[in-house]
Amino acid sequence: MSLFVNQTKEGLESPYLPVPGVVERVTRVTEKERLFSIAPLNPSLLEYGPGQFYMVGLPGYGEAPISITSGPGETKEFELCVRAVGNVTNALHRLKRGDFVWVRGPFGTTFPVDEMKSKDIVFIAGGIGVVPMRSLIKAVLKERHDFGKLTLIYGSKSPEEMLFAEELDDWRAKGLEVLLTIDKPDPKWTGNVGVVTTLIPKVEIVEGKTVAVVIGPPVMYKFVILSLRDKLIKPEEVFVSLERRMKCGVGKCGHCQINGCYVCQDGPVFRLSDLKDLPEAL
Amino acid sequence: MNNIEFFRYLPGGGPSRTASGLTRLINTLLKEYRVYGTIKKDGFPAYAEITDAKELELFSTPTHLSAKQFLFPPKETLLRYDIRHHLHEAVIESGKQAIVGLHPCDIHAIALMDEVWAYGKPDANYLSRRENTLIVGADCMPDEYCFCQSIGTMNVTDGFDIFLHQIKKGFLVRTASKKGEEIIAWLKLREAKPAEVKELEARERLREASFKARLEADHKDLPGIYAESNDSPVWERIGSICTGCGSCNTVCPTCYCFDIKDEVEPNLSEGERVRVWDGCTLEDFAKVAGGHNFRKTRAERLRHRFNRKFRYLTDKFGMLFCVGCGRCSRACLVKINITEVTNELIRESNKRRA
Ligand SMILES: Cc1cc2nc3c(=O)[nH]c(=O)nc-3n(C[C@H](O)[C@H](O)[C@H](O)COP(=O)(O)OP(=O)(O)OC[C@H]3O[C@@H](n4cnc5c(N)ncnc54)[C@H](O)[C@@H]3O)c2cc1C
Ligand code: SF4
Ligand code: SF4
Ligand code: FES
Repeated sequence: MSLFVNQTKEGLESPYLPVPGVVERVTRVTEKERLFSIAPLNPSLLEYGPGQFYMVGLPGYGEAPISITSGPGETKEFELCVRAVGNVTNALHRLKRGDFVWVRGPFGTTFPVDEMKSKDIVFIAGGIGVVPMRSLIKAVLKERHDFGKLTLIYGSKSPEEMLFAEELDDWRAKGLEVLLTIDKPDPKWTGNVGVVTTLIPKVEIVEGKTVAVVIGPPVMYKFVILSLRDKLIKPEEVFVSLERRMKCGVGKCGHCQINGCYVCQDGPVFRLSDLKDLPEAL
Repeated sequence: MNNIEFFRYLPGGGPSRTASGLTRLINTLLKEYRVYGTIKKDGFPAYAEITDAKELELFSTPTHLSAKQFLFPPKETLLRYDIRHHLHEAVIESGKQAIVGLHPCDIHAIALMDEVWAYGKPDANYLSRRENTLIVGADCMPDEYCFCQSIGTMNVTDGFDIFLHQIKKGFLVRTASKKGEEIIAWLKLREAKPAEVKELEARERLREASFKARLEADHKDLPGIYAESNDSPVWERIGSICTGCGSCNTVCPTCYCFDIKDEVEPNLSEGERVRVWDGCTLEDFAKVAGGHNFRKTRAERLRHRFNRKFRYLTDKFGMLFCVGCGRCSRACLVKINITEVTNELIRESNKRRA
């Protein structure tokens, strides 16, 4: 078992001390993504909400911000879905059952699930954006009867890159309409082809009753937001989750700043109307 | 005791320094503290560790690097680990230290750093070091880059333990903390004579009249002026000459962005997680995996740095985050000058209002 000591001088704790977690399961999701179930040694780490993230690290490699993809209310393990893109994430992909990871957090803001109650929700996810979206979808489906119509629009580059494909039927059965699209035609694909915005017109949107949640790569936001505006969804009723470089998670290192706002503290979940004075946001 | 009008006289400072009060003060500090102070290095004032009172030299002009290096070192250990033994621990290291020779702007800068590191989740590494630090200020004369007068940071009434005002035959001393008062009381100095205080006042008047760099607006209006200058052509112009070297971040006493890295020992088991200074003017600062850079151009990065000083952090903490030390302008090889840039924005703003 890993020992963790927090030298407290004058009663202060180091915000950089991670808590070890044990990898309970590793599942290959696609070529590039793996799903990890992790049991933290300190159960207070499980007090998270949908939209939040951890700083996930390995000694010798460093840390990376990773969204929590399991739903809230878990009592033993949380799940992370990691795409191998660099130093830390590739090292995470080499982990096996029983290995340790280091975790700090949870950090950041959550999606206001209570505020969305009795509303229709359109979830719009691009690529790896479905990872944090999954936590929110799980939270909403757990209390399905409190919400109106639920639709997920999910776009990925190709059928092979579609994440959580095997979970979609379960979500459908629980009352989520799922609309899928891929970027370019593919012989194995019979569904919609084109960017996510091509599916937005297919969703019935009721002014004042529908809220939208958008998570995707930086290029996606502008187009999606324009077409939501055409559908008369007010910026107050659109929620986004933004990615930035992050090093500390505690509002100090400066890397995650959008103008004067710190994404690790004031985000990653934002209400679109709160971004209007932040020209660097979208 | 905290009596800002109460001065005592510390003799000497001239050639016979061995017998001087300054030497006595430094020797007293050396008993209890690791002492850092200003020395002349390659002809310029710089901070260094002082092990003998003779090494210290007080300067009226600023050092190239600020004193932030002693509270927020260029590199420090946050974690230490031994993978094979499943050990890891937070490292919070600090020892008693005294910094001698800080000018009023530098003392204001430390007060700002105290706010940011204590905010939200407190940064124990900075705060415990700060707790163990004694600050001995010294007065100054502006060079052509200093503009603390325009920022409201040219004087200090607190934030230091001891402050030394130079007069012809020694120093007039103020204290602003219990610890500072204890040290000075121990030296048994006499009260300053009226003529000595007069001399100090004359020096202060000379100082006030000596500023060449000035802002053409009240410092209270700067956040508003910056807020409306996002699309100013100034950013493109300075962005086109900036080399992205990051020197302005390095020398600034209120720049505190950092990177965190892991360093592993050759045995591949032991290692450290360290933090090192980083800078928002460096190209990769806001770049994420996949290559997307959220502040692609030098113009955007400079606009970000200037806004942090005059607006972003001011909105959060209620204080300007530039203390007017002029270090960034002095250090910039392509002569991007923070007072000139700000004055241009002020003029543009005045024009919009006219
Ligand atoms: C709030 C948030 C949630 C995220 N959620 C997930 C997730 O659920 N799954 C997933 O696979 N990825 C997620 N990411 C992206 C992930 O953090 C980066 O892919 C990862 O940091 C890359 O690190 P690396 O060391 O593997 O790559 P490298 O390219 O080697 O990165 C080099 C350094 O740059 C930094 N860096 C590079 N890209 C990013 C980035 N996008 N964000 C922050 N720091 C970066 C890293 O800290 C690293 O030290 C998220 C990012 C953020 C900000
Ligand atoms: S921005 Fe420049 S003038 Fe202002 S405090 Fe920093 S280095 Fe000094
Ligand atoms: S010191 Fe000058 S050239 Fe270097 S990054 Fe700063 S503004 Fe650009
Ligand atoms: S990640 Fe360091 S300030 Fe947000």
